[in-house]
Amino acid sequence: MWKSFSLIFFLLGLAALGWAQAAQSPQALMDDAIAKQRAGDFPGAAKQYRSLLKLHPEVAAIHSNLGASLAGMGLFEDAIHEYKIALNRMPGLPGLRLNLALAYYKTGRIAEAVEELIRVRQRDPDNSQATLLLADCHFRMGQNKDVIRILQPEEAKHPDDLAIAYLLGTALIRDDKPAEGQVLVDKILRNGDSAEAHLMLGTAKIQAADFAGARDELAKALALNSSLPGAHVLYAHALQVTSSPEEAMKEFQAELAIDPYNFDSNLQIGAMLRKEQKYDEAKPYLMRALATRPGDLAVRYQLAAIALSEGKVDEARRELESIVKESPGFTEAHVTLSMAYFRLKRPEDGNREKGIVEKLTAEAQAKQPGVKAQ
Amino acid sequence: MIITRREWLWLATAFSATRLWRRQGPGLATVPLFAEVLPTSSGISWVHDNAMSENHYLPETLGPGCAFLDFDNDGWMDIFLVNSGPSDFWKPTKPVRNALYKNNRDGTFTDVTEKAGVGGAAFGMGVAVGDYDNDGWPDIFVTAYGKCTLYKNNHDGTFADVTEKSGLATPGWTTSAVWFDYDNDGKLDLFVCSFVDYSGEHKFECGDNKIGKKYYCIPRVFRPTASFLYHNNGDGTFTEVSKGTDIAKALGKGLGVVATDVNNDGRIDLFVANDTVQNFLFMNRGPAPAVKWKWEEIALQAGVGFSESGQARSGMGVDASDLDNDGWQDLFVANVDHEMFSVYENNKDETFHDSAQQHGVAQATRLLSGWGLKYFDYDNDGAIDLILANGHPDDMIDGYSMQVKYKEPLLLFHQGEDHKLHNVSEQAGPAFQRYFPARGLAVGDFDNDGAIDILIGNNGGAPLLLKNQAAKGNNWLGIHLEGVRSNRDAIGAKIVWIAGGKKRSHFKSNGGSYLSSHDPREVLGIGNTAKIDELEIHWPGPSKQVDKLTNLPINRYIRIIEGKGIVG
Repeated sequence: MWKSFSLIFFLLGLAALGWAQAAQSPQALMDDAIAKQRAGDFPGAAKQYRSLLKLHPEVAAIHSNLGASLAGMGLFEDAIHEYKIALNRMPGLPGLRLNLALAYYKTGRIAEAVEELIRVRQRDPDNSQATLLLADCHFRMGQNKDVIRILQPEEAKHPDDLAIAYLLGTALIRDDKPAEGQVLVDKILRNGDSAEAHLMLGTAKIQAADFAGARDELAKALALNSSLPGAHVLYAHALQVTSSPEEAMKEFQAELAIDPYNFDSNLQIGAMLRKEQKYDEAKPYLMRALATRPGDLAVRYQLAAIALSEGKVDEARRELESIVKESPGFTEAHVTLSMAYFRLKRPEDGNREKGIVEKLTAEAQAKQPGVKAQ
Repeated sequence: MIITRREWLWLATAFSATRLWRRQGPGLATVPLFAEVLPTSSGISWVHDNAMSENHYLPETLGPGCAFLDFDNDGWMDIFLVNSGPSDFWKPTKPVRNALYKNNRDGTFTDVTEKAGVGGAAFGMGVAVGDYDNDGWPDIFVTAYGKCTLYKNNHDGTFADVTEKSGLATPGWTTSAVWFDYDNDGKLDLFVCSFVDYSGEHKFECGDNKIGKKYYCIPRVFRPTASFLYHNNGDGTFTEVSKGTDIAKALGKGLGVVATDVNNDGRIDLFVANDTVQNFLFMNRGPAPAVKWKWEEIALQAGVGFSESGQARSGMGVDASDLDNDGWQDLFVANVDHEMFSVYENNKDETFHDSAQQHGVAQATRLLSGWGLKYFDYDNDGAIDLILANGHPDDMIDGYSMQVKYKEPLLLFHQGEDHKLHNVSEQAGPAFQRYFPARGLAVGDFDNDGAIDILIGNNGGAPLLLKNQAAKGNNWLGIHLEGVRSNRDAIGAKIVWIAGGKKRSHFKSNGGSYLSSHDPREVLGIGNTAKIDELEIHWPGPSKQVDKLTNLPINRYIRIIEGKGIVG
C-alpha cells in the first residue's frame, strides 16, 4: 500500500520537471534537486528546493516538491506546511492534496487526513489509493461502518485485491458481522497461509472474547510478518487478558514502533501508565491518541483523571463536564466529576453527580438477569 | 520431583535470609516466619463443607469465617469455625456443623462444640464475637444464608441460642458482621453486612448451555440489598435502627466491614466492602432529630468507593489501622483478580488516597482475589504489617485463565524502615509456598507467646493454623482492656504508648478481614527497646476517661480495667 503512495511523490517530481524545463537560470538547480529526490537524497533535494524558492517563492510546485522531500525525511509537520502553501497557490496541482492527506495520516492527524481524502475522492472518485487510505483512516478512528460503506463497492470492483479484502473483512468482524467477514477471511486463506489471514482470525476471536484463541492466531500472524500493522496491538489485547500487563505493554510498544500513531496502543499504554500513577509518562501517549481521534471520550477521560490526580481539579472539572454533556451515560466520568466537585468544595454539584451515578448504576443493575429472574 | 519457582525461592532464601528470619539457639538453624500447625498436631480435624453442587449455587463459594475467642475466660484463645448447613438449596446427607475448639494450653485443641451447643443449623457464613451484655463473657453471632444466630455465653462452657429473643434473626444472606458502640452508651451495637437478594424458590443459575456446565454467577447479576444496624437496648434485645438512614438507602452487596474512627471525632464509623458495586463509608455524624442518629455515606467523595478509573470493583476483605503511625486510621480493601487491592491512606480530611502502587501491593495482588486480611505487627517491631488470604471464587477458573487459579497463595507484607510494605512471602515459610481456597482469616495469639498467630478458613477444606515464629527477640506487652462505663470489650479505645523515645498509638477498631473475628487483646510491639515508659488508655464514651500507666512489665499479658489500671 505504501509503495503506491510513493508513486505520487514521483509524479509530483515529474510535474515539477515540466516547469523547471521552462525556466532558464534555475534549470540546473531543479534538475539536480529532482535527481537527488529520485536517488533518495531527500536532505540534498530539500536544500536545492529551498534555494529555488529563494528565487521563485511563488511557484507552488517547488513548495510541493519540497514538501515531498521533507516527508521523505520524516519531517511531516514541515511537509504539511509546504503542502499547504502549495495548495493555497495551486489547489489543482495533481497529487498534492493526496500527499497532504498522507502527511496528516503519518502524523496521526487522521481527522484532517479524512477531510482531504474526501476532497480528493470528490474530484477523482476512482482514485483507488485515496479510497483505500480513506478507508484505513476510518478504520483507525473505529468507524467500521464507514469502512464498510467505502470498501464494499470497491471489493465488488476488485474482488482479487487482498488489501481491500483484508481491511473490509476486519471492519465487518469488528462491526459484529462475523459471517460476512468470514467470507473475506476465506478469500485470503485461499491464497495460502498469510499473516493477514491470521490477523483477521485473531480479530474475530477477540470479538468473540476467545482471547486464548486470538493470542494463538496473532502469534502466528506475527511469526509470518512481525511488521504487519495492527497485529501487535491485537496481540497485546489478547495478552492483557491471558498474560501479564508487562507482556501486553511490550506488544503495544512494538505496534508503536511500526505505527507511532496507533490509537489503541497509545490509549492503552497511557491508561496503563496512569494506573501505575506515572502521569508524566502517560500524557504523551494519550495526547498522541487524541491527535489520532480528536475528541475521543475515553482518551479525554484518562487525561481528565490524570489532571484530577495531579491536583489540577478545575481543569479536570471542565473536561469532565464536557465529557458527561456529550455522553450522559458515562458512569465513570460522573464518578470522577463528582469527586472533582467535592474537592472544589461544591457539595451540591458533587451530590447531584453522585445521584446520577446511583441512577445509572440502578439502571444497569435492573438489566441484570438475576434481577429479571426474580 | 518438580520444584516450583516459589518453592525454589523459599529453599534458596532459607540459606541466606537472616534479616527476616530469627535464629534459634546457638546453631545455624533458621525458622520460617510462620509455621503450619498440622491438624495431627493441633487436634483440629474439622473440615469445611462448601456444599458444592453441579448447580453452583453462589453461597457455596463464600464461606467460611473463623474466629479466635476466649469463650471460657481462661486466658487462652479458643477457636470457632463456621460451616455450611441446611438451606433451601441444600439438604446435607451427612451431619454438618460449626466447630468450637477449646485451647488445651499446650498447642492442642479439643472439640467442645456439642457441649457448647454452637453447632448451628443454617448455611453459616461468618462470625462476630463480642460481649454484648457486658457480663465479661464473649458471645457469638453467626451470619448465614438463611438466618443469623446469636449465641449467649452461659459462663459454663455452654451457650444459649437467644436469636429470637434478641431480635437479631436477620433474614436474607448476611456475611460479615461487627460489634461496636456507635452511640457511646457503653453497650455494643451490631452492624450486619447483607449480600445480594438470592431469595425465591428458583435460584438463578449461570452456565454455558453449549457445554451444559453451570458456573458461579458473578454477583453483578443479582439485586443489591441494604445492610442492617442494630442498637443494643441493654436488656438483651436489639432494635434495627438503620431505617431512614444512609445505611438503609445504600443498596450494596456487602462482604467485609470494619468499624473504626476515620476522622478522629470519637464516634466509630463503618467501612463496608461491596462486591461489584461501590464500597460504602458510613460516617457516624451523631444524634440527629429526624432519624435519631445520622449516618452519612461518603465513599465516593472520600475516594474509597470506586477505583481510580471511576469503576466499582469487587470488594471483599477490608481492614483499618494506622499504617503510617500518624494518628489517623488508614483502610485496606481486597478485590478480585485484575482489579488489584487498595491501600487507602488517610488524608486527615475525610478523604483518602490509594498508595497500593507505592507499597507494591497493587503489583503483588494483580492476579489474586482477596478475602481475609489483617493489618497487624507480626514481628513486634512496632510497625504495622499485613497478611492477605486469597482464592478465586470460581472453581472453574483454571480452565479458562492461563494465569488466575482457583487456589491462590497467601501474601505477607512487612513494613520496612522506609515505611513501605514489602512482600516477604517468599521468606514466610512453607505455607506461603502453597495454594489455598482461602476465605476467612483471624489473628490471635493462641500460645500466649506475644507473637500473633493466624487462622485461615478454607472453602471446602481444612482450616490453616499458622504459628508465628517471627517475633522472637523483640519485646512486647499484651494488654486485655476491660471497659467499665464504656463497653466491656473496649471497642473504640485508643492506646498510646511511648517506648525508646518513640510514641505510637493504636485505635481499637473491630471487625476487619472477612467473615471473621480476632483475638480481643492487643499486643504492643516495642522492638529491642527494654521498657515501655508510658501507656495511656483513652477509653471510649460514655466515660471518655484517660488512664495513664507507668512501671509496666514487658513480654507478658496484663489486664487493664477502666479507671482501675492494671489488675493482673
